[in-house]
Amino acid sequence: MNHDTAVHAVHTSTQTFADRVRAIPGGEHLEMCYSCGTCVSKCLIQQKAEPRFNPRRLLRLVMMGMEHEAFTDPTTWLCSACDLCYPACPQQIHISGVIGAVKQLAIEAGYTSPLTPARVDEAACFACGTCIQVCPYHAIERVSGLVTVPDPMAHGQTLTVHKEFAQVNPNLCMACGLCASSCLASCITLDGYTDAQIDAQARALDWQPGVALSTDGGPRLLVLVCNWSIRADADTAILDEPPPGVRVVRVPCSGRITPTFLVTALQKGVDGVLVIGCQPGECHYQQGNLVEQARLALTRNFLDLLGLEAQRIRFAWMPTQSRGALSRLLDEMRDELAQLAPLEWRPELG
Amino acid sequence: MVDAARHPKVDVRTYTEIERVEGFVGNFKVLLREKSRYVRTDRCNGCGECTRVCPIEVPNYFEMNLAPRKAIYVAMSQSVPLKYTVDLDACIHCYKCVEACGKLEAIDFSLKDKLVWEDIGAIVVATGFDHFDPSVMDEYGYGRYPNVITSMEMERLNNSAGPTAGNLIRPSDGQTPKRLAFINCVGSRDKRYNPWCSNFCCMYAIKNAVLLKQMYPDSDITIYYMDIRTPSKGYEEFYDRARQMGIHFIQGRPSLITEDPATRNLWVHAEDVALGRVIEREYDMVMLNQAAIPQRDVDKISSVLNITQSPGGWFMEYHPKLRPMDSPTDGVFLAGACQGLKDIPTSVAQGSAAASRAGRVLHSDEWEIEPIVAQVWEDRCISAQGKKCGICAQACPYGAIEYEVGKAAHVVTAKCHGCGGCVAECPHNAITQMHFTDAQILAQIRTLLADHPEDKILAFRCQWCSYGGADLAGTSHFEYSSNERGLRVMCSARMDTEFIYEAFRLGAGAVLYSGCHPQDCHYITGQRVGEARAERLMNAFDKMGMTPGRFRVEWISAAEGDKYARVINEMQAVLDSIPREKLLEEIERLRPEMERRARRMSQTPQVSEAMAFAERLRMAMGRP
Repeated sequence: MNHDTAVHAVHTSTQTFADRVRAIPGGEHLEMCYSCGTCVSKCLIQQKAEPRFNPRRLLRLVMMGMEHEAFTDPTTWLCSACDLCYPACPQQIHISGVIGAVKQLAIEAGYTSPLTPARVDEAACFACGTCIQVCPYHAIERVSGLVTVPDPMAHGQTLTVHKEFAQVNPNLCMACGLCASSCLASCITLDGYTDAQIDAQARALDWQPGVALSTDGGPRLLVLVCNWSIRADADTAILDEPPPGVRVVRVPCSGRITPTFLVTALQKGVDGVLVIGCQPGECHYQQGNLVEQARLALTRNFLDLLGLEAQRIRFAWMPTQSRGALSRLLDEMRDELAQLAPLEWRPELG
Repeated sequence: MVDAARHPKVDVRTYTEIERVEGFVGNFKVLLREKSRYVRTDRCNGCGECTRVCPIEVPNYFEMNLAPRKAIYVAMSQSVPLKYTVDLDACIHCYKCVEACGKLEAIDFSLKDKLVWEDIGAIVVATGFDHFDPSVMDEYGYGRYPNVITSMEMERLNNSAGPTAGNLIRPSDGQTPKRLAFINCVGSRDKRYNPWCSNFCCMYAIKNAVLLKQMYPDSDITIYYMDIRTPSKGYEEFYDRARQMGIHFIQGRPSLITEDPATRNLWVHAEDVALGRVIEREYDMVMLNQAAIPQRDVDKISSVLNITQSPGGWFMEYHPKLRPMDSPTDGVFLAGACQGLKDIPTSVAQGSAAASRAGRVLHSDEWEIEPIVAQVWEDRCISAQGKKCGICAQACPYGAIEYEVGKAAHVVTAKCHGCGGCVAECPHNAITQMHFTDAQILAQIRTLLADHPEDKILAFRCQWCSYGGADLAGTSHFEYSSNERGLRVMCSARMDTEFIYEAFRLGAGAVLYSGCHPQDCHYITGQRVGEARAERLMNAFDKMGMTPGRFRVEWISAAEGDKYARVINEMQAVLDSIPREKLLEEIERLRPEMERRARRMSQTPQVSEAMAFAERLRMAMGRP
């Protein structure tokens, strides 16, 4: 009897961790989870990035009141709210909503995200607000303050001025790089995927004929591929060891890709560029794939001005359900490029 | 089946549908449509010559479309009776079958559907269930990947009389699969499709796995499951045996199946919950154990037989624990999965129970019913005076009231279940319910509100749900305000507007109008009649300017004792929040309006005597 009343008291008198999560919009229905694991296997994070990522277990931690464990669990911070799992959940739990609620509590409690956020060069930023509009996570805001900038009148000198600039909230940033590719001043950097790093991979030395790639004399193809878009192990193996003439560069999201990467590669003599992103509705960062599609549609129009054929650039959706589609896609693109005259190889461009 | 068909006292009508049912327990008249087979059953001897010459092949539904059948066919080899049927949608009228039939002259394309009325004493509904079509679940690729099949297709492939003579083959290449996966709960326990557990899938998945393992001992068989449910006698032991045979069980609901386009092999993506890790495994063939769902024409049967449905579309039983084989309509019984999903032993048990209940009807000359039926005072019914009304007939969930302008409404006593909906709905108080007359109920209201009515919460409870809820609150020792006064009627449909007006006229502090949740109503649609009335009352009280919360409508099941206690306590809190003089002032202000609205009640027969009696009783009790 005493034991019963004690349990009763705990349930009524104090607000549990689960209650606090439930109280945040999106955090409801968490008790409906019966740990079937559908969300875990639908999600690509565990396989591709973090073996400890497990939404089902995070829900369990919340229900058991294990607050510190939940706040330090990678699941809390790595979920990008792509909502692949939501339509698959048989209990119709909005899992990313629950995770978002846990994350909000974690931030309030002073925990911080383990991800490396995008960096803004405050001196170069002219606060145009493009990044604010493009960020899927509302992680960027326009602030003003004192910033040290180069003195335009005196070379090598600096000035401290009061100006507006963009600021990234490190706890909300999911490091997709959409802001970096959209920045009009090129002042946003995503560590690990800087413009220079991607460009260097795309234009690396082994493009030279006879060294590694063009032994068969076929076309040179640059593949820029989103890290999340290919699920099957057999297909990711193709990316690790691409067929001759193909060079693969990975990016966190197809939306990270700026047209500059494509145009400089073509200038150097690469015959074609294939960009692979997730199917609409499956983008890991909600809208990166759509932004990129619009961007490349424009770029294709401009190829004409450069005297190049539009087919040299292609954007392909890759559904997460696909298996074996990648090698077909590569073959198709290479056959298409083989019909076109090869571009002049200009290693002197770097 | 064949045994039953041969029995001298069993008349099997296949290929026949029920069109209409009239009458009542022991005296049903049923209109049957015997659909035309275009074959004379008295002449066909089932030799099958016609089928051999028929040039038309269409998918065979019985073989799950894995094999063809002809346009003249029997559904399966054990069909009863073994008479052929022409599928007129497929037939090209070449008449080769007529030729082959020869002198028997059994095939006759001029035959029409026959409509026959039959006298029936009792009806047993055993219409079974259907299967969920998994092709709507894009993630499993059924219909897109040839080697993903359903459990019913598996049953045919694994059957020695089936299209492959019992050889399990892959649809894509005809090879024998070595690595097999079963996926449980496809479309069941899934709020996107069907929230219920389909009851028997765990067991048949294990059965299929064991059969295949016996036939192909070196095969690798995996069952993906959320929970294995093996609750009956011997079932858990069977599950153990499957594990001992080397069948793999992986706890984890697959989120995705992908197909290798070259080999047509399938990759199942799931989290192994025990490992906490996502695994991708390759299989030659995948079987989906899909949900069981109600028959597609369940609504038609429902309306013909006047049986309601539980959530999901299963036929509603009279009582979930005590009378699961009875439907709410006397003389109509339920057996098997049409009432709720169950496996073979349980279906057999329920079928036997339903048959014996039906036998009880057939063997008795008289049928006892509860004496709480409705009766019409013919001199008060305005229909007898030639005016159009029929409100009572509309309110009756059982179609027990015969109504015709020019005649007084007539209650068919054998069909009346005593909800009292007609009694409360009748605008002229021309119907009464035995043992629940207006006079009896009004006397109770007066007595319950005799003393300091402004402190009291008068609770109208329905016999089956909210009364049970109040009872449970009591036996569970949930505390609620002692100012509550309960009053029992059979259904919320009986809670007359005039009772509520009378209660407020007498100065009741608050009134609770409570009954079953709509899907639980004991009288099919009685709660809906009560609910519509409660809404009208609520609007009326709003317009009168009554303090919100003094009249409250709540649907409380017999299992919701906590809710009953909470509602009463909340109502008490409302009363406590109104200053006493303000409450008394409001009661006085509304009294003339309440009196006007409750006036007609006093004209009802017996009411004045009952009121006089209640008055004497109050005097005797020394109450003012």
